[in-house]
Amino acid sequence: MAKVLMKGNEAIGEAAIRAGCLNYFAYPITPQSEVAEYLSKRLPEVGGTFLQGESEVAVGYMIFGASGAGERVMTTSSSPGISLMSEALSYIAAAHCPAVFVNIVRGGPGLGGILPSQGDYFQATKGGGHGDYHLLVLAPDGVQEAVEMTMQAFTLAEKYRNPVMVMGDGMIGQMMEPVEFPDDLKTEPTNKDAWATNGMSTRKSKTPNLVKSLFLDSAELNRNNLDLKAKYEQMKKEDVQYELYNADGDYQILIASYGTMSRVCRTAIDMLKAEGIEAAMFRPKTLFPFPEKQVYDAAVKDSCKCVISIEMSMGQMVEDVQRCVMGKKPVEFYGECGGEIPSPEKIIEIVKELIG
Amino acid sequence: MLPDISGIIIIAGNYGSGKSETAVNLAAVSRRAGKRVKITDLDLVNPYFRSREAQKPLADMGVEVVLPDSKYMQADLPILTSAVADMIKNPAQVTILDAGGDDAGVTVLAALADVLKKSHVKLLQVINPLRPFTNDVQGCLKMKAQIEAAAKLPVTGLICNANLLDETTPQIIYDGYNLVTRVSEATGLNIEFITASTRLLPQLDPERILCPILPIDRLLAPPWIRT
Repeated sequence: MAKVLMKGNEAIGEAAIRAGCLNYFAYPITPQSEVAEYLSKRLPEVGGTFLQGESEVAVGYMIFGASGAGERVMTTSSSPGISLMSEALSYIAAAHCPAVFVNIVRGGPGLGGILPSQGDYFQATKGGGHGDYHLLVLAPDGVQEAVEMTMQAFTLAEKYRNPVMVMGDGMIGQMMEPVEFPDDLKTEPTNKDAWATNGMSTRKSKTPNLVKSLFLDSAELNRNNLDLKAKYEQMKKEDVQYELYNADGDYQILIASYGTMSRVCRTAIDMLKAEGIEAAMFRPKTLFPFPEKQVYDAAVKDSCKCVISIEMSMGQMVEDVQRCVMGKKPVEFYGECGGEIPSPEKIIEIVKELIG
Repeated sequence: MLPDISGIIIIAGNYGSGKSETAVNLAAVSRRAGKRVKITDLDLVNPYFRSREAQKPLADMGVEVVLPDSKYMQADLPILTSAVADMIKNPAQVTILDAGGDDAGVTVLAALADVLKKSHVKLLQVINPLRPFTNDVQGCLKMKAQIEAAAKLPVTGLICNANLLDETTPQIIYDGYNLVTRVSEATGLNIEFITASTRLLPQLDPERILCPILPIDRLLAPPWIRT
């Protein structure tokens, strides 16, 4: 298929359709409302359903319902909306249901603002809702990757029967780039007769299924937590994704960044190279599972004097980078918030200061 | 041949058709031609990549940029400054109104209907055939009907803005021009101009394009783009 010019939000909507998702429930919020706008036009054309909930709390449980019934389902929202959905996310994770949540992050905390931000890293990777659960979190750096990761999110959600989050920011949602869609996802939701409440009349099994997150027996609840933990350990082994940029030579500094921020860092690294200064970038594409070993290996390279995490936040991913580098190299931080995005020139200035 | 349009010009089209980039570049070209130019950003729908982001380079050239109070510039609110109605009543030689996307984006024009019906306005539909929903004649006609119904004004002309950003080729521009020519034949509307990035202009065969060409210098780019 030829390339088309799409906004990130529209491309995410189209990617969901091509992944076979015919159920999309959402509540509008800037800067992701175009996903709903797009899917409200497109889903009826392919026999799908778009339903606007009365709030994000309701939407979270509509997702739980569809997911528990074995349907491919997605919602999209932005930061305050994801906070409202966080209770449902915890329930969905506890009940081992697959679902795709997209967060097009805006500035917070509180109602914050409508401009791009990476302030929801903690919320996405460390919880958000209550209890011992994790989302698998994918962080695209542009419209093409947003398409690929949205499609992949359904496969991963079904592989682990766990909610998967695609986390972009306002820039990823709003910017336009040429995109090419991969082949449609042809697989069916896997093994759903074994666990989903998809209706006895359509099932191949005679045993009724129960989807639940309530475990009043302590041993049973402990066992459910161990089952969840085993999935997270499997994710760490099998589904870590990352990119290294300009990391083949002897770089003096390693920049850790993801999403929109990594696009700016890439420009800064190219500009530094033109001046004869070598800087490399480590870009996690999965924020959970975090590429722990990969950032360590890149940081401990002899030529590398220090690591800096550059974020559109006040310092969130930097805690994972510090944890993984284990004190082997100094880990610095620079960030801006509220829709301010560090410029390539600012990054160059900071890098030059750090490497002397 | 550069576009030479005067009067009150409303730029409309579907989301992401390139309305704002077209509007700010038309303002710049008109100003460079020595005309007095006013421009306003009427995009009350989409908060990103709006023509207001080009305020400084336009103001530096002497284009009058009419915008809401700066403290509301990033507000997620449909603010229509009264200065816009004044601008229509007292137009410059070239007065450009950059509307928002789709039918929702031009709904604001209905609020200005009283002043607009007293003026002779051009409502131009920007088409990028590489965008969803306007990749064929039928899609463009549907968009036209939706814009007209919401704006309560007829579309009076077409602009072809065929592009894939940095991946645009001359063939993309020719193909887009062909499609918009068919829209022109179906509607009887004139193609006011097509656009082409300044990078591609020297590669275009002037024999193949029978209307003016607006050169585009990208003013509304993401923050990592450096040329």
